Formats: sequence, structure tokens, C-alpha cells
Amino acid sequence: MEESRADGRNPNQLRPFSCTRNPLDRAHGSARWAQGDTIVLAAVYGPKPGTRKGENPEKASIEVVWKPMTGQIGKQEKEYEMTLKRTLQSICLLTVHPNTTTSVILQVVGNDGSLLPCAINACCAALVFAGIPLKHLAVAIGCGVLEDGEVILDTNKAEEQQLKSFAHLVFPNSRKSASSKEPNQKEEDSERGLITSITHGVMSEEDYFSCIERGLAASSRISDFMRTTLQKQAPGDV
Amino acid sequence: MESRKPPPSALVDNHVVPGDVVLDLAEMTNQTIKLGAGLRQDCDTIQATSAGRLRLSKPSKYWVESSQKRYIPSVEDTVLGVVVDTKPDNFLVDIKGPNLAFLPVLAFEGGTRRNIPKFEIGTLIYARVVKANSIMNPELSCMDATGKAAEFGQLKDGYMFDTSTGLSRMLLSSPTCPILEALGKKLSFEIAVGLNGRVWVNAPSPSNVIVVSNAIIKSESLSGIGQRSMVESLLERLS
Repeated sequence: MEESRADGRNPNQLRPFSCTRNPLDRAHGSARWAQGDTIVLAAVYGPKPGTRKGENPEKASIEVVWKPMTGQIGKQEKEYEMTLKRTLQSICLLTVHPNTTTSVILQVVGNDGSLLPCAINACCAALVFAGIPLKHLAVAIGCGVLEDGEVILDTNKAEEQQLKSFAHLVFPNSRKSASSKEPNQKEEDSERGLITSITHGVMSEEDYFSCIERGLAASSRISDFMRTTLQKQAPGDV
Repeated sequence: MESRKPPPSALVDNHVVPGDVVLDLAEMTNQTIKLGAGLRQDCDTIQATSAGRLRLSKPSKYWVESSQKRYIPSVEDTVLGVVVDTKPDNFLVDIKGPNLAFLPVLAFEGGTRRNIPKFEIGTLIYARVVKANSIMNPELSCMDATGKAAEFGQLKDGYMFDTSTGLSRMLLSSPTCPILEALGKKLSFEIAVGLNGRVWVNAPSPSNVIVVSNAIIKSESLSGIGQRSMVESLLERLS
């Protein structure tokens, strides 16, 4: 018998999420991504000419600025910025616009746990709305491991106090294919791989692989939601 | 032996997102594919790099139709640019792209060293993109391919506003889009649409300029029938 969590969810259930397209008028692309009460507003500016010192001018560079809900930017925010920058660099086609800089600014609107996965999802949606060329999308999910070894998904703030360890995982989105041969689902899942993995706490190998397996299954749902969001175009679309 | 026509991709006219496999080249033999915006080749597959609707122009030219605020220059596009600086050999023009565009001082009909046009900073210019690649600044011209000024040049008076590139493409599509057709029946106005997401409107009276501009801005989220009824309600309030 599965025991339900404090907010009534079963271990594999995600909080309801929503995404608003281009809420900011001045940004070239923006997205407001909410997972439960965790809300992140992402804005993309660029590509703008020039690269900063230390960047490779033969490729586009990505600059990430993280704005917390309260307080000053500290070490945790710097770590988030670096993680986001490396994740976005791996999914963007950097050779299309060389010697340009794309700025991604994130404002935390609400923080109720699983903040970094929510921010990564918001960033990907904003990059697509801005028309930045991407190899594929990325979907992020937070997994937590309880003291008894049970794995729960999309942890909220109260649950994060009870966790023994947790992992933030980023996967490529599932892709639609025009190929006539029907790929094996298990083979397709293994091909997708893992983009980013951040873990805290002590976790056994078995627990970690269990997190990846459960996270990969859940990422399909986020993937489908993101695809549906991107398809909502203006009805005047010819 | 006559080569078989290539079967079109199953995803044509569907929405695709970055990473979707549009074509599998391993299944095709001896065929020519032309790729447009929003697609790239990754080993044996053609994948989308932007989100939008996949289009096919027969026999085998594919592109992804998407809409955004940032404009990426492309040769033979017509754009509305704002002069931001003047140099001895070039005007620097902002066309809402990653880099400023160069407009040579001789790129006008009958242009010579003796009659270089004088544009102040802030002048609005309707021009054609003649060179565009990612590692150089794009180059503009105010002549068509035969050297005539045609409709290019400076735009005086009027009002210029920003839209998305998708709306610009809709305004320039043929047959005439419903919003312009409905407005043209009742009002007289002059309009220039740049593919970089800028629209310029001029009319005898300021109120007409405002009505036309607001109608165009609102039309982005409406269907063809919605656009016509919106124009009719606007014009009723006007008279």
C-alpha cells in the first residue's frame, strides 16, 4: 500500500505545473514556469553583439543571472548560475551566432522546494520563445530519498526537511520522429542520456539509479507538457 | 530510370520542437533536400532547432515557421532599419538583429560620390538585405536587383511600431491578409512592413494612423474572421 504524502500526492506524482508564454514585453523571450508554489520567471535577451572577456569569440556565449526572492546573491546563487550556464551551453547550438552573448535572467517568484529544476524548465521554455537555436529541449526533475529508502519526486519545502538525500536531474526531452521504423521504447529511453546531475546527501548506488529511472519516467510528462505549451500559437497562425 | 519522388516527411504542417527528427536520411536514396530556417543535419538525421510548424515547398524544401522578437538577417529580406550612426563609407543601421547592418552610401539609385544622401541619426529606412552571414555584419541596399529604387529609401512622417516576425510575415503574405483588406476598404493609409518585425504606417490624419496601428497590433492573436469583425467594430466607433 502506497502511503500518500502530506499534500496528498503519491510518491511518483508531480505538482501541477503551468507555463506562461512571453509575460515580459521587453525581453526577447520570457517564460513564467510554476510547479506547485515554486515559481520562476525567466527572461532571455539576445543574441547581442560581442562576447565578454575570457569567452570564445568563435561561439556564442551564455550569461546567466539569478535573482533570489529575498536577500543578496550568495554562494548558493552563484552555484545555481554556473549549473544553469553549463546546462544551457550543452543544449544550445553555439556555432550559429558566433561572437554574440545571450543573457538569461531568472527571478525567483516563489520557492516551495525543487527550485533548480523549476528554473531549468523555465529557462528552456524562454530560450524557445526567444528563437535561440537548440539541439533539443531539456526537462528537469527533483528526486528525494527518504530515510527508509523510498524515492519521491518533485519534493516541496516541507518534504525536503525530511530527506536523507536528493538529486536534481536534467534529461533531454523525448523527441517526435518521422522515421518509419518504430524505435523500441526502452532503447529510446537509454539513448536519451542525462545532461546534468546534482546530488546532496549520502545516497547508495541503488538509490541513485532508482532516482534516475523514476526521474526519466516523470520527465516524459514534463516533456509532453512543454511540447503542448510550445504548440499554443496564435490562432491566426497560417 | 526515373527516380521516384521522395515521400514528404510525416511531420509536415505539424508543430515540431527542437530535437524532433524531421527526416531520416538513411532511408532515402539519391535525393536532394533543401533545408531552410530552423533545421539542421545531425549525421543521418535532419532535426529541428526551433519550435514552430514544419513547412514543405514542393518538391523537397523544408523549413520551420516560427515567430519571435529577435530578427536573424537573411538575404533578400526587406527590412525597416533605423540609422544609428553615419560613417564616411557606410550608414550603421539597426535592424533588430544580433549586429548592426551596413548601408553603403552608394547603395542608392543613381548614387555617386557627389550626391551622397544625408540621413540623420534616427532616420527610418526601408531596405533590402544583400549580404547576411553569422560572422559578419549584414549589408543593406536601397535598390532592387535591377538597380532601381522601387519602394526602398527613407520613410518620412508616419508611425513605426514593433511586432513579432510572425505577424510581419502574415502581413506580407499573399493573398492579402484579412486585416489589411478590411482596413483598406474604409481608410486610406500607407504601410511598409519589414520582415524584421517592424511596421510603418502613415495616413492623412493622426487618428487614422492610431486606428490602423492598434488594429494591426491586436490582430496577431485573432483568426481571419476575428480580424474582420475587430476592424468593423473599430471603424464603427470611429465614425
